[in-house]
Amino acid sequence: MIEIWYVILSFTLVMFVVLEGFNIGAGMLRHVVGTTQAERRMVIEAIGPLWPWHEVWLVGFGGTLLLAFPNILAASFAGFYLALFLLLWSLLLRGVSLEVGGHLADPLWRAAWHFIFVASNLLLALLIGAALGNVLRGVPLNAGGEFALTLFTNFSPYGNVGILDWFTASVAVFMVVVLAAHGATGLVLKTEGPVHDRSLIIAKNLWNLTLALLVIITIESWWVRPELFSGMLHQPFGWLGVILVFSGIICALTGLLGAREHRAAIGSSLFIAGLLIAGAAGVFPVMLRSTLAPEDSLSAYQNAAEGHGLAVALVWWPISAVFSVVYFSFFSRQFAGKVRPANPQP
Amino acid sequence: MGDTLFWSRLQFAFTITYHYLFPQLTMGLAWIIVYFKWRQLRTGQARFANATRFWARIFGINFAVGVVTGIPMEFQFGTNWAEFSKFSGNVIGQTLAMEGMFAFFLESAMIGAMIWGEKRLAPRTHFLAIFGVALGSWLSGYFILTTNAFMQHPVGYSLAQDGSLRLASLTAFLLNPWGLIVFLHNQCAALVTGSFVVTAVGALYILRKVHSDQASLFLKTGTLVGLFSCLMVAFPTGDRQAKLVAQYQPVTLAGMEGRFQSGPEANLDFIGEPDVMEKRIDNPIYFPGALSFLAFGHLNASVKGLDDFPEDEWPTNIDLLYYSFHIMAGLGTLFILLMGIANFQRWRGLLEQSRWLLWALMLAFPFPYIATTAGWMTAELGRQPWLVFHLFRTAQGFSDVVNGGDVLFTLIGFTGLYFVLGVLFLFLIGREIAHGPQEIAATGNSEVSYD
Repeated sequence: MIEIWYVILSFTLVMFVVLEGFNIGAGMLRHVVGTTQAERRMVIEAIGPLWPWHEVWLVGFGGTLLLAFPNILAASFAGFYLALFLLLWSLLLRGVSLEVGGHLADPLWRAAWHFIFVASNLLLALLIGAALGNVLRGVPLNAGGEFALTLFTNFSPYGNVGILDWFTASVAVFMVVVLAAHGATGLVLKTEGPVHDRSLIIAKNLWNLTLALLVIITIESWWVRPELFSGMLHQPFGWLGVILVFSGIICALTGLLGAREHRAAIGSSLFIAGLLIAGAAGVFPVMLRSTLAPEDSLSAYQNAAEGHGLAVALVWWPISAVFSVVYFSFFSRQFAGKVRPANPQP
Repeated sequence: MGDTLFWSRLQFAFTITYHYLFPQLTMGLAWIIVYFKWRQLRTGQARFANATRFWARIFGINFAVGVVTGIPMEFQFGTNWAEFSKFSGNVIGQTLAMEGMFAFFLESAMIGAMIWGEKRLAPRTHFLAIFGVALGSWLSGYFILTTNAFMQHPVGYSLAQDGSLRLASLTAFLLNPWGLIVFLHNQCAALVTGSFVVTAVGALYILRKVHSDQASLFLKTGTLVGLFSCLMVAFPTGDRQAKLVAQYQPVTLAGMEGRFQSGPEANLDFIGEPDVMEKRIDNPIYFPGALSFLAFGHLNASVKGLDDFPEDEWPTNIDLLYYSFHIMAGLGTLFILLMGIANFQRWRGLLEQSRWLLWALMLAFPFPYIATTAGWMTAELGRQPWLVFHLFRTAQGFSDVVNGGDVLFTLIGFTGLYFVLGVLFLFLIGREIAHGPQEIAATGNSEVSYD
């Protein structure tokens, strides 16, 4: 039962990062792929009116974490207090700039919201990356199962750590590159004209960079948390993740080179999903690792709220997820297809 | 600066009060838009299509602000109320997760289709999307009110060995009698807000002599829904709510009415000044025996006073509790009066000529927001000093690892962000209202624009 809830929780996170990752990546690149007002408008249209559905997966993640692992939610949300509010405020500014940026035709209005949009997306990618880096590295949990993180200490990933050290900072940078590559690949699929052509060049370069950084991050992770990889190899999901990472990046690269745009976009999504699945499988059952004393780490087994609550939720949760995907696929078909530059904009 | 509990309470109170200014309109307005769209399908008249389009745009701006201010709410359970999350996560996590999984997914999949789908979708599909958004917003309300109902009147739980709560019965938890009543009361209040806003825009257009056909439609629909929902808020839902408080939280009822001594023939103040130090109400104007009647159905029933309860179980801010309850109840009564007169004049065919009444209807729209906020303050202040009534105190629930200064910092951050958001919101809504409902031809070139 605990394993199932861990899988469900990881699934919500994968959905969030893959779906929102495209919006964040495309948003970050909006400044470089679109040079005119009409081209920048195309990026917003490529993100489309269904972006709130993507973001709801984060709400699903929070609710599921509270339901199944309340102690983990309590420890991590309180421990990452300021970083989490920074994430929430970036989401708020990103959402507002996306919604109101086009309300006025005034160039200054549009430029201001464009700046906020690009900056908040960049910050979101950095924060998501830093958060994942922190989960991989561990946090200074004490024997009471609590911690409070400062932004940084001495930039070492051992002992009394801060949110940013050389390891988590490099994971954050990696995440920016990966999400930008993911966003560019999605824009290749969803646009035509100059935006498409620029996205294609950017995507090819970023995937090469991703491949190089992947090697560096793997070595770094092995250095900081050696048990990650042995854990990965002992879990079927770990193997699945590794296979997805490699097949994903191959599909993305061959898709872009061979103008198979659907294949590239699917490969890009699989790559991100694979990274997260491999990571989640590698750390299991430790959900929050203590950098101070290994015995103070919080494990899924000791911190799940087992009982009737999780049993009934196992009935309604999948039903709700199926409903959700049904409405989404119905309405997303209405907004499918490429965004064309010829579209007249008021 | 070290008072984490105080700043966390203030931050939650501020962010939830601000957030709820937006869903209360969308939950009420949603069904009015469903009605307009349904009439359009039935009659094929362009006036209903124009009304649908106009209100869907207002709805969209409200919805966006509601979404961005809503996401921080769920996260504050973990960031600021970590001990409460540990204690009750397995129970309240059910409804909070359900809200995301059932309601938000439904709304977020259909909101785009509702606002931009008029030309892209078949009319019936467009209707379906609007209906889906309305249903989703009410489902969301239900799950949140069930969560709150658990905090007011906990049912369906058991205690685990580590002292935290476990869900014992999902049906008992979801069908909490407190939750059902409070849901009806709150949703009727949302309809009051929605109908007052629709009415106010109608009155504005009549007074400015613009969009007269749309204005008549807004006035007619707004005043009808307004009268119905104002009556429903008071009776039966408000009445039942008062009886629930009397039954399950007698100490809260005593605090709401500033009733310091027990006894029969309890009075209901129209207005008064609570003096907690001296334990009395100064200068009250009251209805004799009305509280006994309201709580127990006859005029000389005995109603418990605060002296029947240990002082550490009294609501912690009796003054504010007293005033918020009286403001809510007083405004609710005035709303019935105003909507009653408006409907009487409309029945006589004189509403659009009654300038004084149109002015009153136009300027009345902020008051449902005030009444709703006061109602929620009554519920939440009345629950104090408990976070989960009689199980868990507010002082036990906050995140003790978080520094008070950090909470003050984020509170100041929210204040700044929400101020800017409020200015932006008023500007955009003001623009839509000044622009007014347009014929489809005027907006023909904005088919795919998400403006």
